[in-house]
Amino acid sequence: MIETRELRRRFGGINALDGVDLSVSEGERRALIGPNGAGKTTLFNVLTGELGATGGQVRLAGSDISALRPWQRARRGLARMYQRNELFDPLPARENVRLAIAASRGAYRPLSSVARADASAADEMLDGVGLAGKGATPARALSHGERRQLELALALARRPRVLLLDEPTAGMSPTETAKIADLIASLDRALTLLIVEHDMDVVFRLADRISVLHEGRVIAEGTPEQIRGDTLVHDVYLGKAVPM
Amino acid sequence: MILRSVRLAALALAALALIAFPQWSEGWESSRYATSILRDILIFAIFASSLNLLVGYAGLPSLGHAAFFGGGAYAAAIAAQRAGTDNLLLSLGAATVVAGILAAVIGFLSVRALGIFFLMLTLAFGQMVFAIAFQATDITGGSNGFAGVRRPELLGMDFNSADALYRLVCVVFIAVVLLLWRVVSSPYGRALVGVRENERRMRALGYDTRTLKFSAFVLAGAVAGIAGGLSAYAFRFVSPNDVAIGASITGFVMVLIGGAGTLAGPIVGAAVVLYIERVLSSSIDFSQTVLGVVFVLFVLLARQGIVGVARGAVHRIAP
Repeated sequence: MIETRELRRRFGGINALDGVDLSVSEGERRALIGPNGAGKTTLFNVLTGELGATGGQVRLAGSDISALRPWQRARRGLARMYQRNELFDPLPARENVRLAIAASRGAYRPLSSVARADASAADEMLDGVGLAGKGATPARALSHGERRQLELALALARRPRVLLLDEPTAGMSPTETAKIADLIASLDRALTLLIVEHDMDVVFRLADRISVLHEGRVIAEGTPEQIRGDTLVHDVYLGKAVPM
Repeated sequence: MILRSVRLAALALAALALIAFPQWSEGWESSRYATSILRDILIFAIFASSLNLLVGYAGLPSLGHAAFFGGGAYAAAIAAQRAGTDNLLLSLGAATVVAGILAAVIGFLSVRALGIFFLMLTLAFGQMVFAIAFQATDITGGSNGFAGVRRPELLGMDFNSADALYRLVCVVFIAVVLLLWRVVSSPYGRALVGVRENERRMRALGYDTRTLKFSAFVLAGAVAGIAGGLSAYAFRFVSPNDVAIGASITGFVMVLIGGAGTLAGPIVGAAVVLYIERVLSSSIDFSQTVLGVVFVLFVLLARQGIVGVARGAVHRIAP
């Protein structure tokens, strides 16, 4: 469903992505792990088109999207949950989601009215991510956990085919982490997920397969069991104790 | 529903009262003077409202907006003086189209830049338009400008008398406000607010934000051109001052004092600024200083402007 071939991105003299080959099939839930600086967020930015690739290809559902701009990729069904929330802070949660829903119909209707159906669809979407009753609350007045839930709702609103989740549990309490992991686990199985996550419990719970990124390359790939047993992965990532 | 109807009725009454101002103020000693001030307030309210679409809704701080106001004023004057048409639709149409085309050219290049760079680009393009107006003497009359611009006519109505011109300005003003009200409450207007709040997220949602900003820039430019055309009729004079940085800044000040991102804000702002500049200046010598102080106070203490502050107060009293 989403695939990269020899994907490269250089920053000055540094190869942030040094020929990444990745192939995630439809409905698969793939986790992407690796130490800080391995290139995970750069990979996401190149996949969505926010950063240009310096080489290689990105393919979505079989077609090359490397030359498309970010909004065109979104229209092809690629969505992203950002690591740091990208919300419309002063706007009510409902309007945040409504903007996401209305995007599929195009914005050039300067003389028509806002569809009531979109507002109720937005409320349903909010219910779905556990934000029932929060529709009128400005995004900036929500708690951190709720903001992550809203961020997820924005990513889901266009009914994407591929969803990139960049550290969905970043900065969350254990309760909030469990809640968002439950939400992700309960998503439609037809949706293809690519998840960057540092919390290994969450990774092993959600992922069908895991790819390990190190210095801009995929150094290992397999089922959670295989990755757990991989000595190379242990050396570069899992085995290292979390710095205290 | 009832509240909505009452509101609509009140607005319709206000519109009628506005159009009939010269009649019901007839008894006043200064009725004619007041009418001319009100006319100019409405013209500048159109200008400030168009700028507000950029500054207040789309989050595009343009400092070159007078280029379109002045462009419209020149187009209307040239249509009458050089092309020899007094037809209102042709003349005001030329003002709108010329300003819109100018905005398309400047906007195409400017909306690629963000924040302070966008501001500097619009400022630079505004100065270029000013230089052209100043130096292309054959077309624009250079520093002398155009004096004695003829007022237009339409279907046998001529807008030469002060009252007729006032009514014309009123009707155009009401039409523009209705149009902008439609636009900002449409999915398009909401998308502009989305761009203002988080352009990156809008792109990730599938909005072509550059085209959104460009179209808003052209629309705002065309509406500013209408205001410019009306000002050419009102003052019967067009000069490089109409495209100068001073006019751009005046528009910006009106938007900020009145309340950016609200429909009523720029209208209130235009009224306050013109009151200080025109009325207060006849009784005190330092009216420009007053304007400066008012502006500083709003920027420091009440960035949401007069309309924003008033809304907040109403909310506190009756939530």
